[in-house]
Amino acid sequence: QVSVLYFARSAELAGLRCETLSVPRQVTALQLWEEIVKVHPRLAVIRDQVVFAVRQEYVLLGDQLLVLQPGDEVAIIPPISGG
Amino acid sequence: MDESEDVPKDFIKLKSEKLSVDEVSELVISSYCGAVSLFIGTTRNNFEGKKVVHLEYEAYTSMAETEIKKICRDVRQKWPSVKHIAVHHRLGVVPISEASVIVAVSSPHRAESLEAVMYCINTLKASVPIWKKEIYEDEYSWKENKECFWANSEK
Repeated sequence: QVSVLYFARSAELAGLRCETLSVPRQVTALQLWEEIVKVHPRLAVIRDQVVFAVRQEYVLLGDQLLVLQPGDEVAIIPPISGG
Repeated sequence: MDESEDVPKDFIKLKSEKLSVDEVSELVISSYCGAVSLFIGTTRNNFEGKKVVHLEYEAYTSMAETEIKKICRDVRQKWPSVKHIAVHHRLGVVPISEASVIVAVSSPHRAESLEAVMYCINTLKASVPIWKKEIYEDEYSWKENKECFWANSEK
């Protein structure tokens, strides 16, 4: 079970900022995205623009294998615009 | 001389209150330094012909602070003579003409602090998880920095 955090446009599309989701312990970034889109189908439109932050490290939506621990933070990161 | 001034410090703050240039400059001033360089990012009142009413910022706060700390660490590797670094970023609503970000760096001589300030703000725009929403009169838009390494702006 991981904490999923939503920001900016992804929070608007998902309709919430934070939730706990059950996901496989080992999963590729792309597979994790598919799991999240099953719960929030409206997120599909931003698939090409987002990355993840897993335990506060950026991860592109690709084949990288993630090893998740219970309570890990996974954030959906739309294109940033700080400064 | 106060010896604790000699220890280089990073001052990082994300806050919803109005930013103060005086406060940020004073954080980095050091009697060992002859230069303090400053960048202030302020909100513009227009974008592509549309009137901007105000900006709203949100952040993944814990990760934003960690990423800014990484930037400070990189600055000290590239410019070892840099003394203090301060980065203050405002969150929530920022009215037109007010500051959304202030970066200040002190160093013994001016070249390092000027270059370090530019590096800080450029890297912040590329890597720190903060988002800006521009509010126009009848719509809004989530902005995307061109520096963002994963955004495909040709779409």
